[in-house]
Amino acid sequence: MALVVINSSFSQDLLEILESETPKETQFIPATFKMTRIAIGHSTEVRAKGVLEVFAANRFWNLPVDRTQSFVADRMSTRFALEYAVSDDLTFGTGATTFDGLFDAHLKYRIPTKSNSNGLPFRVTLLQNFSYNSSAIANQDISDEFSDRTAFTTQLLLSKKVSKDFSFQLAPTYIHSTLGLQENDPNNFFAIGIGARYKLGGHLSLVSEYYHTFNEIESFETHSPFAIGANWELGDILLQFMLTNAVNMVEDRFITQTRNNFNFRNPNLNFGFNATYVFHFKNRLKEK
Amino acid sequence: MIRILIIFFLTVGTIPQTDEDNEKVIARQGKVSFFSYTSVEDIKAENNQVLSVIDLDKKEIAVRMLMNAFIFEKALMREHFNESYLETDIYPEAVFEGKIMDFDSTIVGEQTRIVKGVFTMHGNSEELEIKTKILKEADNYIVSGVFETLVKDYNINIPPLLAGNIAKSISVEFRFEYEPYED
Repeated sequence: MALVVINSSFSQDLLEILESETPKETQFIPATFKMTRIAIGHSTEVRAKGVLEVFAANRFWNLPVDRTQSFVADRMSTRFALEYAVSDDLTFGTGATTFDGLFDAHLKYRIPTKSNSNGLPFRVTLLQNFSYNSSAIANQDISDEFSDRTAFTTQLLLSKKVSKDFSFQLAPTYIHSTLGLQENDPNNFFAIGIGARYKLGGHLSLVSEYYHTFNEIESFETHSPFAIGANWELGDILLQFMLTNAVNMVEDRFITQTRNNFNFRNPNLNFGFNATYVFHFKNRLKEK
Repeated sequence: MIRILIIFFLTVGTIPQTDEDNEKVIARQGKVSFFSYTSVEDIKAENNQVLSVIDLDKKEIAVRMLMNAFIFEKALMREHFNESYLETDIYPEAVFEGKIMDFDSTIVGEQTRIVKGVFTMHGNSEELEIKTKILKEADNYIVSGVFETLVKDYNINIPPLLAGNIAKSISVEFRFEYEPYED
């Protein structure tokens, strides 16, 4: 009862003083995607300085035959990667994939924004990826020196947190692949990626991603990679579950060389599972 | 004539000082930190930009803090705190309004008083009684203390898998250094 009396008599001017004295800006920028990948491709997110992410991405799929003796899935591919945040805006990552024998490395730089309300209307991140194809090339006629086995992906990632729950990303992409599969196949590719996240709850979100290549490979049929999935955050563990037609996990491959369309027939559909463990090597409370 | 003028100026000059009805002190860089201790994980966060005002005459205290100004040991935890737990885009701030019981603003040195009031965070208001140490030096006051509050009172959604990582009772520590407030 006494409390009610206190409340009703509480002078409003104290709160008004606090209102007028409160700084309008803080240094904090809310997460657009939380995870550094939307599903198959990169998001604009980078980690804070001193964060090491141990990343394992898996794809499982079945062969298009009636009977197989495999446990759970006929085929699986795993990409192991380590990604370290050199600064609050720059991340270096490197990984290796089992199925296609690709070794890759990337640099990811986010254009710093001081706050959410002033400055750029988009979050802007630049990604430069490099990959080396270590797998055997069957065609004897193709030159396969080191320099012929490399590919470079440059992405401009633009994202916008439209509302508290919905984020959207556009990713104009340029890929240079030195390995010419056939005479008439292009070495330079232009593509655009579209990705989105919708938050279903505090820790769970629905994500989807699609890439379209404007000049496709001509020597075999390719399709646009598509993924739909759920991202689940558990503190230091970040999990991603998805359905996709992209087998490969490195940008230059899955954007330009996805051979199957997205449907529920084997081997077109892949179940994807990404697990990230986040290590913090920097205590933010100790910096002054 | 000069005498009258002197008396006049002295009188005028003393008016603001005699008007002590609305004397207020403000703390602009108050510190609030909280701790959660469990066997799985210790979580600690600090906010050094907390605002507080005391109306010395009415013995009222108000505190306001932006929740996204809390800094955590782990950078990712700050993102989780804002996006998944406290939903700071909907509830950006926490406010405390209270009364310092039996407060005597004239006592120089230390006094321990109970502060009774309502703390509003994440859209939920909770009545708190906090034992507070008040130290007066000249015109400045330092108010500090520790209290415990329960996570469940603030309607914060914690996934069952992470229930072991976050303590049921959170220990909150605060320290405000006040100086006279001028409009």
